[in-house]
Amino acid sequence: MNIFLLQLKKSPRAIIGLSVLLLWVFIAFAGPSMTTRSYTHMDMEYQMAAPGEGGHTLGTDALGRDVLSRIVYGSRSILTIALMTSLFSSIAGIIIGFTAGYFGGLVDTIFLRIMDILMAIPPLVLAMVILGILGNSTILSLTIIVSIAYTPATARVARGALLTCASNEYVDAARIRGESHFYIMFIEILPNTIGPVLVEITARFAYSIMMIASLGFLGVGLQPPTPDWGMMVIENKSIIRTAPWTVLYPSLSIASLVIAISLFSDFISKVMIHEE
Amino acid sequence: MDFLERFLKRLGFMVLTMVAMSMLIFFLVEIMPGDVAQTILGQAATEESVAALRESMGLDDPIHVRYLRWAGGFVQGDLGQSIYMRGVEISSIFWRRVGHSMLLAFTAFIFYVPVSILMGILAGVKAGKTADSVISFVGLATMALPEFVSGIILITIFSVYLEIFPIASLIPIGQTIWGNLNILVLPALSITIVMFGYVSRMQRSSMIGVMSSDYIRAATLKGMPRRYVIFRHALKNALLPTITIIGMNMGWLFGGLIVVETLFGFPGLGSLTLSAIKTRDIPLIEACVLFITFIFVFSTFITDMAYAFLNPKIRFKQGEV
Repeated sequence: MNIFLLQLKKSPRAIIGLSVLLLWVFIAFAGPSMTTRSYTHMDMEYQMAAPGEGGHTLGTDALGRDVLSRIVYGSRSILTIALMTSLFSSIAGIIIGFTAGYFGGLVDTIFLRIMDILMAIPPLVLAMVILGILGNSTILSLTIIVSIAYTPATARVARGALLTCASNEYVDAARIRGESHFYIMFIEILPNTIGPVLVEITARFAYSIMMIASLGFLGVGLQPPTPDWGMMVIENKSIIRTAPWTVLYPSLSIASLVIAISLFSDFISKVMIHEE
Repeated sequence: MDFLERFLKRLGFMVLTMVAMSMLIFFLVEIMPGDVAQTILGQAATEESVAALRESMGLDDPIHVRYLRWAGGFVQGDLGQSIYMRGVEISSIFWRRVGHSMLLAFTAFIFYVPVSILMGILAGVKAGKTADSVISFVGLATMALPEFVSGIILITIFSVYLEIFPIASLIPIGQTIWGNLNILVLPALSITIVMFGYVSRMQRSSMIGVMSSDYIRAATLKGMPRRYVIFRHALKNALLPTITIIGMNMGWLFGGLIVVETLFGFPGLGSLTLSAIKTRDIPLIEACVLFITFIFVFSTFITDMAYAFLNPKIRFKQGEV
């Protein structure tokens, strides 16, 4: 942990990334109690108000809804879903990828072929079709479907991580001691693959944000009146000429969050690779 | 492994993947709620008329019969009929949309491939210097950016303030896309920004790897001009991983097309897929998704063959790679 902080001090990019990410986390937690405006309230006197007008710091949309409070509330759902998605898809990937890599042989071959086939459909298309047909997406359904769409990718990473460790002596030692397969996989090998696993989780976090924002943009994400950053962009795209702030601020929110996580995840991968 | 043997093996796997994917897509759509006949006739339809339509459409046949009929039609170029558009043959609109998307993908391709490769080479050769930090930072920042975010930023600059390019990619009625090529620019640039990260980072790391190898050091020590060493000696090897990444990302590019086409209202395969999903037009969803899968599988196949052909280790049968 000390090495981690020492490295962090030397990397201004990582500090910026982490600070912006923490700022968004803070906004998601504390923001709603600090904004006095409701995200659904339609201010009839101030429709498409420019930033600053009528006390609307970031302006209002065509219905007179406060852009700032919609962004603040929207940060909650996107951060929650993206965090859960990156965790769940990584856990599922570890279980599947470890099992395949550990037992090898036919199990592994079948696993690889299935993953190759599943990867033939872009994750965004898969998630979009399932969510679109199911309709009425919720936080739960989004989390489950996006996790499933990402699992082939995480499983491959986990399998690769296991294979680099599986030939170590401590694995043989555990086997000779007569430990169970489960114990060897998850108690002996897993802690030693923590580097690549952490790298995968943080990178997956950035991609989850990208995917969830895109699904919201395509209209198959969270349904109105829940504010969603991606949906805000497509809702207001037609008034981009008269009220550019209605699309620009949600877009910039997504960009800042994604870039912050990417910078931080790049730092994690550099630290983890150096350590090994 | 022999080149021909590799070719046949990959071809076989491609066919297998397509069969498996078509089954998956068919059954996935099959288990979803909603009755096709009911959808066509509306909620007010009588039970008898729904049953009669189910009968005439063959919806009551066992599932494997329906799958084989659907897949068989697909192989012969019969994509079925749209539900939402009241029985219009899908193939009558489908191929024009595919053509538009292909043109857009191609335009994006000729933007991002040369730019990313050149920037990647520059970053790799100048590793650790200012040029490298700038290029690497931009690449990292744009890598996980959704295409609509880069698109909105481009629209704000080029359409709202500078008013150079149109906000929406609409083709006026009676005209073809060829008279309206300016609608391609912003969508293609939005994709370029996102793809730049992947390709330039890949090119950078493979360039660094090759530049530190012995044969490059030997060429440099022999006193060859640096430009010659980079472009004649190093690039040949450093391009191989990049080509693979570009090819493998073709399917990903098509996923991105859905987002970009929706943002710009571009009349392509992506926006068709989304509207098929929104209108729950099952035959159209199946056709679109299967075609996107086919593009991905086919481009993976081509990439693999190009890789095998360009790599002398495989071409001259010296061991397996």
